[in-house]
Amino acid sequence: MDIIACIKRVPDTSEADVVKIDPSQKDIEKDRLAFKINDWDEYVLEAAVQLKEKLGGTLTAVTIGPKEWDEVLRRALAMGADSAIRIDQDVSADDPHIVAIILDKVIRRLPYDLVLFGAQSEDFGSGHLGAMVAEILGIPHATLVINLEAEEKKIHVQRELEAGTLQSYTIDLPALLTIHTGINQPRYISMGGIRRAMQKELQVMSLSDLGLSLDALTPMVKLEEMRLPPKGKEAELITGAPEETAGQLAKILKDAGIF
Amino acid sequence: MTLTNFRYGDVIHRCFRCGYCKFPINWMDVNNCPAYARFRMETYSCGGRLWLTRAWLEGEIEWSDHLADILYSCTACKNCEVKCPLSFNIDILNMMIAAKSEMVERGEIPSAAKEFLENIQRQGNPYGTSREKRDEWMEGTGIEAYQGQEYLYYVGCVGSYDTRGQETARLLGKVLQKAGVSFGVLGNDENCDGNEVRNLGEETLFEMLAEDNVAQFQGLGVQKIVTLSPHSYNAMKNDYPGFNGVFDVLHYTQLLQELIRNGGLDVSGGYNAKVTYHDPCFLGRWNEEYDAPRAILRAIPGVQFVEMARNRNGALCCGGGGGNFYLDLLGGSEDSPARRRVREACETGANVLAVACPNCLTMLEDAVKAEGLENKLTVRDISEIVGEACVIK
Repeated sequence: MDIIACIKRVPDTSEADVVKIDPSQKDIEKDRLAFKINDWDEYVLEAAVQLKEKLGGTLTAVTIGPKEWDEVLRRALAMGADSAIRIDQDVSADDPHIVAIILDKVIRRLPYDLVLFGAQSEDFGSGHLGAMVAEILGIPHATLVINLEAEEKKIHVQRELEAGTLQSYTIDLPALLTIHTGINQPRYISMGGIRRAMQKELQVMSLSDLGLSLDALTPMVKLEEMRLPPKGKEAELITGAPEETAGQLAKILKDAGIF
Repeated sequence: MTLTNFRYGDVIHRCFRCGYCKFPINWMDVNNCPAYARFRMETYSCGGRLWLTRAWLEGEIEWSDHLADILYSCTACKNCEVKCPLSFNIDILNMMIAAKSEMVERGEIPSAAKEFLENIQRQGNPYGTSREKRDEWMEGTGIEAYQGQEYLYYVGCVGSYDTRGQETARLLGKVLQKAGVSFGVLGNDENCDGNEVRNLGEETLFEMLAEDNVAQFQGLGVQKIVTLSPHSYNAMKNDYPGFNGVFDVLHYTQLLQELIRNGGLDVSGGYNAKVTYHDPCFLGRWNEEYDAPRAILRAIPGVQFVEMARNRNGALCCGGGGGNFYLDLLGGSEDSPARRRVREACETGANVLAVACPNCLTMLEDAVKAEGLENKLTVRDISEIVGEACVIK
């Protein structure tokens, strides 16, 4: 089975207070942030590698971004991807539709039975991209996939909905899936593995190599402004001996109508 | 699947599980391997782990989450190495680390270990807290950035980020200031020392950290280093020379002992308490420094010093080594080594349990709370005791 995994690099914003809006008010300040692979994409790679280990075939990892984005591709190569392609263009703040048009051009050049995306990204979180690419490619897709089992010509998937409700589908290949966290336990990628992956091929392409130009790609939506949420009411810290604080806490809960 | 890179395939069979690896100083019991003490199953002792590793090596058992937990519950405390009577004892802990390395290369490690290592890759500390916050501990202390002073004061991850660790980092800084020691810190440019990374079997990440730190120290002209943590001390003293990083490395207790002895630090303010001392593994068994902390405590007026039954190279590990202060594979039981250790400290009649390691400090302080011993026993780092004796507020 030939698989294409589309992955991205995101800032580590697990601590809310490190996030600051830059003067353009259309992006966050990234200079001093650490970056990582998008959380969902770790599960994408693990699912892809498990399928490849089971069924054989090829695994190609694709990303769109500047040179620093090679690091997520190196992780993919260390995990077991055969090849990796980076489209050298910063589209991180662009409308997902533009990203989808570019990915469509890349994917069409490659052999594939299955295209995998993360269900969403940690930074912009639109969750649109996979479905858009499937539409442009004209192949079936399923989003929020929490379980998958592949045969030669079809794939059985389960989607996770509200309250853990599961939907099962059998989809003809080629198909596109967006993968949810929890589908597997992504393995640890050792630094030794990443160093060894430096030997593997990493192809860099430009938009013009794909017959595209950024000017010709018109966004369907345009970002107007980014801002941080207003600060809420401050937390109340109750201090003192447990026999006193327990009573105070009980009173607060009672006054709030919780008891 | 068999192991591919395991370096000790030709000697691992020599462990016949005599059980000495579980002993303390004498034969008082068999609970001095922290993981064995916690689980009381042979599989968790060094001998048991070696036999399991061998079975894994020879394809008799498959890798499993449980096997990974058993191997990673080793705290690298070195009790086994010190107590094993066989000549191959110098390698038994390395065998454990090599088995962990094999798991690292296959990507199959406990999820907490994965998180620990990825956090260090990304933010240079196991907590995953931003690198930009590494210097928050020193706010308002007046401690200077390192720029050619006599000593680089290397604080380490626990001292930089853990709330309790930060208190000791600050106090040690103040003690050094009071003694007039010329020193500076790296602040946000400080990176993980890598000691636990090595013990978790992530060799390449450790090499990268060691190479980067050595290059940084040399670039700044560092010659002498004083560390808060025995873990940093161990890596910098014993491992960094292998990366051309030869520095004059001291654990802070060694520097304070010298300062007190030559009159550079006045501890006449005293400290009135009955104090016992817990040897941190990376100062004690790993580096055989048992005397400096004791000499400091004995030099402080008012300190009534008592030993626990297990001490020096027979000390029971707090259970925090090998990354276990974060992985917490040994927690959650009254048999957890830290809880056993604070009960032992109480038996001496001491009201203060002195430590010389921020990892031990957090582990044992939590254990005091879990045991409900707050009214009987306080855990204090030696830097805090000296701080009080120097009348630092």
